[in-house]
Amino acid sequence: MTVPALALCIVLGTTSLAWGYVGVGLPQLARWLAFFGLVWLLAVWQRWRWFAYIGLTVFFLAAALGLWFLNFPPGWMFGGAIFGLLAWDLTYFRYRQTFAASDAERTVVERRHLLRLSILAILGFWIASVAMALQLEFSFDWIVFLTIVLVLGVAQIARWFRTRS
Amino acid sequence: MTRAWFLGLLVFVLLAVGLASLRGVELALAIPFLLYWMYALWRTRDSIQLVVHRELSPEQVVPGEPVVVKVRISNAGGDLEELAVQDALPSGLEIVHGSSRHLIPLAAGKNFQFAYTVRGPRGGYPFGALHAEAGDSLGLLRRASDFDAPARLMVMPAVSRVRPVPIRPRRTRVYAGSIPARVGGPGTEFFGVRPYEVGDPARRINWRAVARHPDSVFSNEFQQERVADVAVILDGRQRTDLRYADRSLFEHSVVAAGSLASSLLQQGNRVGLLIYSHYLRWTFPGYGKLQRERILHALAAAAPGASQVFEGLQYLPTRLFPFESQIVLVSPLLEDDLSTLVQLRARGYQVLVICPDPVSFEVQSLPRPRSRITLADVELAARIVKLERSVMLGRLRRAGVQVVEWDVAQPFDRMMHGAFRRIGRQHP
Repeated sequence: MTVPALALCIVLGTTSLAWGYVGVGLPQLARWLAFFGLVWLLAVWQRWRWFAYIGLTVFFLAAALGLWFLNFPPGWMFGGAIFGLLAWDLTYFRYRQTFAASDAERTVVERRHLLRLSILAILGFWIASVAMALQLEFSFDWIVFLTIVLVLGVAQIARWFRTRS
Repeated sequence: MTRAWFLGLLVFVLLAVGLASLRGVELALAIPFLLYWMYALWRTRDSIQLVVHRELSPEQVVPGEPVVVKVRISNAGGDLEELAVQDALPSGLEIVHGSSRHLIPLAAGKNFQFAYTVRGPRGGYPFGALHAEAGDSLGLLRRASDFDAPARLMVMPAVSRVRPVPIRPRRTRVYAGSIPARVGGPGTEFFGVRPYEVGDPARRINWRAVARHPDSVFSNEFQQERVADVAVILDGRQRTDLRYADRSLFEHSVVAAGSLASSLLQQGNRVGLLIYSHYLRWTFPGYGKLQRERILHALAAAAPGASQVFEGLQYLPTRLFPFESQIVLVSPLLEDDLSTLVQLRARGYQVLVICPDPVSFEVQSLPRPRSRITLADVELAARIVKLERSVMLGRLRRAGVQVVEWDVAQPFDRMMHGAFRRIGRQHP
């Protein structure tokens, strides 16, 4: 179940991004994205786990660039990035599954993981869509508040990581 | 941890870019990533607290016999969404049934038990720690710990029961046993005739001697039977070992040493074992079943090895063996060992050499001859080497060393049955 889900995520992510790029008249970039998706599928077949990092980075950058510079329709870009994230997650989940001793054991863990992942992905997509729909304007106070939260968050997490490692 | 750092970096770069450019769309893109990341951080565990118990059934086996390893894990900490465990298997053992690794969710206070079956060749196998990995359900932040659950599997040599070994050392111990002590007294074997003493039972009177010498009365005297000191020496020198695929001549030597030691101990003797390999391993002499266990444990861990010091037998630590005691050497023997054995004999030791035949072993283990070397060539070469060996063994026999040659294709007990009968007949 994990491998088909992984392949599906890569295909959907690639299609989503490529479709967004084609939609604004950049078929050349869309072709390159499609080619990259095929390479990622090849990496899945060859069990190159490290390639998932490259895959997620490329999908993430493609979505961010599309949104930032080219004002693409955000839905396709969000879809591409989220499916990239899911594919990255499933690549490592597939590796962890090698510890399972039987199909029954694997199924139990797999079902729980896929369920959680689906909920997170849907929730993330929904919140992001709601945020885009609301189109909140950035006031100066709001920016200062967000910046402070960001800095504090980074500092807190860095400290947390240091104490754990 | 790398995955968490990587994802965190992506999220914060996106947030920073969104804030710097005052564009909400970048912040919105960061939301799914941030959600994933925060969920993983929230569900992660600071530590894994498990109580692990491992049980082997049985703990002592013979080579190839299956052993069931049962592992019981109790979760003494918080809920673990994905717990991956792997029981570290000592090298040499193979799993024949089940699996030593599992991936399970384990709630707080719950237990999980799994079992697998292993088997392996002769040796001692200490089981190490159980490796456990757990973290958040997304696997972003994972903790790994090792949990000790000590256990030891001993795969003993498959010793066979052999008939009592007919040894005749010059010196025996004071306790009653089964070895003829060359001293008159109570026993079963006729030893001689002596003048009648008050208290001798009438059935011991030698009437024929009395008939010849009517003035005196003579009694039969029997040979006392006592226990003896025996040192079993296992030759573990690399240069005497022969290996073909998974077969080793040393393995046969181990079986022979174990069988002989068992038989000698069963006779009531005081037996010690010396493994003469790249180092000396001396199992101090003792009696009985406990000593048998000690010897079998030592044999289970015995391995051939090369050492410049112990290349020849001349460094045998003879001070370990009581003067004029019995030495049983299990060795394929090399030409230069001859002088050492003759010296041992000259010093008063009674020496019995069990000699696994390396020539037969090699001939049986050789692959089919190729075109340039015919079967006849191999047979001729084997005959020449066998002749050389028989000359060497003949010289040993003439020096008073008892030599038993063993074609390892035959079971040890069957071979020894005939050989000991011959040795028994040689002893008066």
